[in-house]
Amino acid sequence: MSRKHLFGAAGVLAAALAFGSGGIASAADTIKIGIPVGLSGANSVVAPSVVQSAELAAAEINEAGGVLGRQIELVVADDGSGAQGAQKAFDSLVFQKKVDVLISMETSAARNAGLPIVNRGRVPFIYTSFYEGRSCSPWLYVNAWVPDQQVAPIVDYFMGELGAKSFFLIGSDYAFGRGMLEFTADYIDEKGGTVLGDEYLPMDGTDWTPIISKLKASGADALITSTAGGAPNVTLTKQLRAAGVDIPYGNLAVDEGTARNMGADAAGIYISASYITDIPSQENQDFLKNMKAHFGDDLKTPNDLSVPQYEGVYLYKLAVEKAGTTDAQAVIDALDDVSFMGPRGKIQMNKQRHAPLTMYLAQVQADGGIKLISSFVDVDPGEQCPHL
Amino acid sequence: MGVLFLDIVTTAAILFTVASGLMIILGVMKLINFAHGAFLAIGGYAAFVTTQLGWNPWMAIPFAAVVGFVLGLVIERVIVRPLYARPLDAILATWGLGIVIGQVITIVFGREVQFVQSPLSGAIEFLGQSYSTYRLALVAIGAILALALIALLYFTRFGLNARAVIMNEDLARGLGIDSTRVRLTTFGLGAALASMAGALITPLISVDPNLGLPWLINSFMLVLVSGVSIPGLIVASLILGGAQVLVSSYVSAILGGLTIVVLAAVILRIRPQGLFSG
Repeated sequence: MSRKHLFGAAGVLAAALAFGSGGIASAADTIKIGIPVGLSGANSVVAPSVVQSAELAAAEINEAGGVLGRQIELVVADDGSGAQGAQKAFDSLVFQKKVDVLISMETSAARNAGLPIVNRGRVPFIYTSFYEGRSCSPWLYVNAWVPDQQVAPIVDYFMGELGAKSFFLIGSDYAFGRGMLEFTADYIDEKGGTVLGDEYLPMDGTDWTPIISKLKASGADALITSTAGGAPNVTLTKQLRAAGVDIPYGNLAVDEGTARNMGADAAGIYISASYITDIPSQENQDFLKNMKAHFGDDLKTPNDLSVPQYEGVYLYKLAVEKAGTTDAQAVIDALDDVSFMGPRGKIQMNKQRHAPLTMYLAQVQADGGIKLISSFVDVDPGEQCPHL
Repeated sequence: MGVLFLDIVTTAAILFTVASGLMIILGVMKLINFAHGAFLAIGGYAAFVTTQLGWNPWMAIPFAAVVGFVLGLVIERVIVRPLYARPLDAILATWGLGIVIGQVITIVFGREVQFVQSPLSGAIEFLGQSYSTYRLALVAIGAILALALIALLYFTRFGLNARAVIMNEDLARGLGIDSTRVRLTTFGLGAALASMAGALITPLISVDPNLGLPWLINSFMLVLVSGVSIPGLIVASLILGGAQVLVSSYVSAILGGLTIVVLAAVILRIRPQGLFSG
C-alpha cells in the first residue's frame, strides 16, 4: 500500500469514527437495556424464549410512549451460558455499549462472573432466573424464585395430602443440584419426615441404573429430584419409568416445555413453579395472547425462566418513572418500592432484594398437559440478603 | 443380589451394543472414529423420525441401521478415503465430522429434547425382581448382535477379507483382496451399528443433538481394553460395566461414572495390547 493510499484509508477511518460517535450521541436518547443471556451452551434451549419476553415488553412500552418519553432499546449479548462468556458479555454491555440496566436470565456461573463487572460499572442488574439463593450485591435485584419458595409446596403436598413420610433424593452433581437437595433434606427434617438416601450422578452421566436400584430397595414413599435441566432430567425420568417406579415423584428441575416433550414418561410428575401457562389470571391470558400476536409461529412457549424477564423490564420501567431518572443509584433505591401486576401475579422485589411469589404446584398429565393442583400465595423468599 | 446381577448384565449389554460399531471400524481401518457419538445421535434422530411418521417403534432399529449404513458409505468415500495415507489427519477429520453432524442435526431438528416412542415400557417380574422390560430386551438384542457379528466375521467371505486386512493389509492386497472395498463396507457397517445402537438406547436417554457425546469416551475405553475382538468386547463390557455398577452401588455413583475410564487405564497398563489380543 502506498503512502498516499494509507493516508486515504486513515481519512476514511477518521470519518467513520466521527460518524460513529455522532451515531452514539443520537442513540443516547434511548434507554438501553443490556441482556446477557446464554444463546449458546446449556441455556440455548430456553434463551430464545427469554429474548422474546423482553422484546414483547419493550415493544409494548415503546408503543405506549416509552419511559419518561424515551424509547427502550434492547442490547442482547451471548454469555455462552458460562463464566468466561459472561465476563465478555458484561464487559461489552457495561463499558462499551454503556447500557442503563442489565436485565437477564442466566446460569449461576454466568451471574457470578458478571457481578464484579456490574459492581465496578455501577449498573442496576435485575436477575430473572430462579437460582440457589443468597447472591447479594448493592446493584442486584432478583424477581425469580429461590429454594425456600420452590421446595415447600412439593414437600408440604407430599406429606400432607399424599401421606408420604420417607423420601429419596436424586440429583446431578453440581452446585444447583446439590444445593436444592440439601435444602430439601433440611426442610423434610424440619417437617418431621425422613430422608432415606440421596444420590448424585455427574452432569454428563447417562446411566442411573444403580441409583434407581437403591431407590427401589429403600422403599421410600416419595421421590424428589433436582438434576441439571435438559438431558439428565429426561434420562433419569425415562429410566425411572422403565424401571416401573410409580411413587409420587416431585421434580425440582423440569420446566413445562421439557415435561411436554417427554410425553407419557413425564405423566404424574409434580412440579413447583412461579409460572405455568395455565394460570387463569387476566394478566396471564393477555400476556399469552400478545405473545402469540407478536411472534406468531415463531413463538417459543413462555415459561418460568422467560416470564420473569418480561416482568423485569416492566419493573425497571416503573422504577425509572418513580425515580424520574435513569441514574443508577436512584433506580436502585426505587426498585423495591415499585410493584407490577404481571402474568405471575403481583411482583415486588421488597424482601432483601428478592420477591415474595405465588407458587404453583402442578402435575403433568398423560397428554402432556399441566394440571394446576394448588397455588400458594406470596411465598416468602426467607433470609436472602440480610445485610443489604 | 438379583438386582445387582441384572444391573451388571444389562449395563454390559448396553455398553457392548454402543461400542461395537467403533470397534469394527478401529479393527479393520485402524481408525478411531470420533464421529461415533454423532452416529449414535443420527440413530436417535432416526428413531425420532420413526415416531413422527407414526411407524411401529421397533422399525426405528432397521431404519436407523439403513440410514447409518448409507451415510457411512458416503462419508467414507468423500472424507475418510482421501486421508488413508494420513491416519492422524483422518482421526481429526472424524472429529470435525462429528461436530458438523451435530450442527446439522441442530439446524434440522433444533436443540431441544425430542420425544421418541419407546417399543417397550414398564417393568416385569424377572428372577423374583420387578425389572425394566426394555433393559432385559436389550440383553437379548445385544446377544443376537454379538452372534451376528461373530457369524459375519468368521463365516462369510467379507469376514475373511476383513480379518485378512486386520492382520496384514499389504499381504491381503497382494493376495487380491480389494482392501479399499473392505474399508468402504466396514465404515458403512460401523456407522450402521453405531446408528442402530443410538436408536436402541433412545428409550433410556434424552434425544438431543449431543446425545452421543457421553458414550464416546466409554466406548473408546472398552474397545481399547477389548483388544479389538468380539469376545474381547463382551468380556470388557462385563468387567468394566460390572465394575461401574458395583462402585456406583457400594461406593458412590459419582465415582461410578469414573470407573470405566480409570479401570481401563489400569488394565491397559498391565496388558497394553488389550484383553484378547495376540
